[in-house]
Amino acid sequence: MGLEDLVDSLGQNVLTTTVGKVIGWGRGNSVWPAQFGLACCAIEMISTATAGVDIARFGSEAMRASPRQADLMIVSGRVSQKMAPILRTIYDQMPEPKWVISMGACASTGGVFNNYALLQGVDKVVPVDVYIPGCPPRPEDLLNALMILQERIKAQGIVTR
Amino acid sequence: MSIEDTTGQGVTITQSGQQGAFGGELLTINFGPHHPSTHGVLRLIVDLDGEKVKRVKPVIGYLHTGIEKQMEALRWQQGVVCTDRHDYLSPPINNLAYALAVERLMGVEVPPRAQALRVIMSELTRLSSHLVWLGTSGIELGAMSVLMYCFRERDTIMDMNEEISGFRMHTSYIRPGGVMADATPRFFDLLAKFLREMPGHIDEYEDLLTMNPIWRARTIGIGRLAPEVAKVVGASGPMIRGSGIAWDLRKVMPYSGYENYDFEVATNDGCDCYARYLVRIQEMRESVKILAQAVDRLPDGPVNVDDRKMLPPPREELETSMEAVIHHFKLFTEGYSVPPGDVYVAVESGRGENGCYISSDGTHKPRRVKFRSASFVNLQALERMALDHMVADLVAIIGTADTVLGDVDR
Amino acid sequence: MIAEELITDKGVSAGDEWITVAAPRLREALAALKEDGYRLLVFLSCVDHLADSSREWPARFELLYELRDMEKLRDLRVRAFVDGDPPQIDSVHGHPALTRILMPDDWVGHPLRRDYPVGGEPVEFSEEHETWLTPPTEA
Repeated sequence: MGLEDLVDSLGQNVLTTTVGKVIGWGRGNSVWPAQFGLACCAIEMISTATAGVDIARFGSEAMRASPRQADLMIVSGRVSQKMAPILRTIYDQMPEPKWVISMGACASTGGVFNNYALLQGVDKVVPVDVYIPGCPPRPEDLLNALMILQERIKAQGIVTR
Repeated sequence: MSIEDTTGQGVTITQSGQQGAFGGELLTINFGPHHPSTHGVLRLIVDLDGEKVKRVKPVIGYLHTGIEKQMEALRWQQGVVCTDRHDYLSPPINNLAYALAVERLMGVEVPPRAQALRVIMSELTRLSSHLVWLGTSGIELGAMSVLMYCFRERDTIMDMNEEISGFRMHTSYIRPGGVMADATPRFFDLLAKFLREMPGHIDEYEDLLTMNPIWRARTIGIGRLAPEVAKVVGASGPMIRGSGIAWDLRKVMPYSGYENYDFEVATNDGCDCYARYLVRIQEMRESVKILAQAVDRLPDGPVNVDDRKMLPPPREELETSMEAVIHHFKLFTEGYSVPPGDVYVAVESGRGENGCYISSDGTHKPRRVKFRSASFVNLQALERMALDHMVADLVAIIGTADTVLGDVDR
Repeated sequence: MIAEELITDKGVSAGDEWITVAAPRLREALAALKEDGYRLLVFLSCVDHLADSSREWPARFELLYELRDMEKLRDLRVRAFVDGDPPQIDSVHGHPALTRILMPDDWVGHPLRRDYPVGGEPVEFSEEHETWLTPPTEA
């Protein structure tokens, strides 16, 4: 990307730090998840979007149906052999910068099921930023993961990965 | 004309290439598996003539978890954990089917307090499952506030689940031999408060939807499933009760003490999506009635069957009794063995008949566990309900079938 | 009524009635039972009795048809035993669109057979990972 290469070549200066902070603040506070609800964790993800545990407070209420409009993929649920290529396709369709939260034990490591039918962890096909343990994790756990991710996004600023 | 599957194999739709009503060709579109309105990872290959649906072919398997194979590798008591996760909107009801099947093969009967607690957990789960259905169906048809209201009540039910078992969703509370532990006084407080307020909340949902002209326009006359077709397809649950047939396993083949409770089977002759909506609302009211009766008449006593060969002894006994230590050791290393034989037990879940078939070869692991899934069978009715409707109605029809893909694919 | 000669064995298992019919005459038997009133197929499944020493099995694969009579509220389990690789029976053989539904179309092997390993990842220090990853030849 032209702008980011230019910025890299300028090194550390007010452009990259202060502007970077502003951009990081903007990106971090409006992380739009792509709906990728697969199984039981999806119900807890929907629960996080509802009034009791409101994810809209963190700017993530707009769960986009189209991956091209999203920057966070929350893989919530078990990924089967048939679903893995589709998961990768959806991940590839998301524009940069993008992040992945692997929600729940099945998405992180295969969970309760250690067998032929499931991917033992979604990090076998996509790079994951935050893992959430639990089966399913509480809605507050998902919020915690989102907050950890937000810290990381704000710290990243404008520097390319 | 064939379309490419994700694996590169062709999937041929035989009707494409035919002429549509206005002289054009039929269009084949792919609906899912990543779709906000398919209630999970269901893929539909739809042939369209303009806006009208001419053929619907569901492609499943995107959530296949190998639960049945997994359970062959786990011991009998470990298998309870897997049963929670196939129909993930009603975990205790799945647990109940498995527990009843194992108990029938073992030849034990749980005490009455355990039966009543099982009924309480089943009805709470039925409520939570219908609430999720109502919330997600509402938001798919545009009624966004219904989601918020329904999940507020569901959160209360999750709090009760957490109080009684420590888990919000996958409680594994109902186990072969009884239940996990007795209910605490705080559980009964929460339940009493819930039962006072829930009828008012159901009235709220009805206020929002039942006479709402948009809801009615989108559900009345949509997704017609004639009673004969429902029987032929093997539909159960609200799919068949919404077509006027009063078939509810809790009444016709009662289990776990349901014959002692006074409730009605909710039916409606409409045969369309609106009828099924009314059936589920009525079922929620009946569930509240059953819960009130169960709490009133809750008998005292133990909550587990008193068989040391099946359930571990209480921890205090381990300090003094050698047999208790041996039982504890055998149960937690090898596990108990179920006598050879096979049995099928069906229970009524939010979707219909969910059953568990167990074949035992006498060892400490099952030979075969098969789950009869209500969603898998109800999904067959999708094509018949959707013919000649518009694409937007397809969303309403998938919603009314209330399929849970974990149950379809297991 | 179903002809007595079609039934090769019958019994009651944990309260469930069952009959065994010969696999080649399955279609006849099920048609007769449907006329009897058993109009609902509750489920159709199969059990693999490889290395099962609990009793003498006529063949390796046991097919189960659970039928229900919704008027008289009675259930009946029909069993048919088949052998062979691949095993053949009327209700499956001759199906117009026999494809895989749960696994990807190009998957090799039949996971629910008893000689297919459970798979997954080996778990270190677990006494079970060897049995899960190798196909069993013994029960």
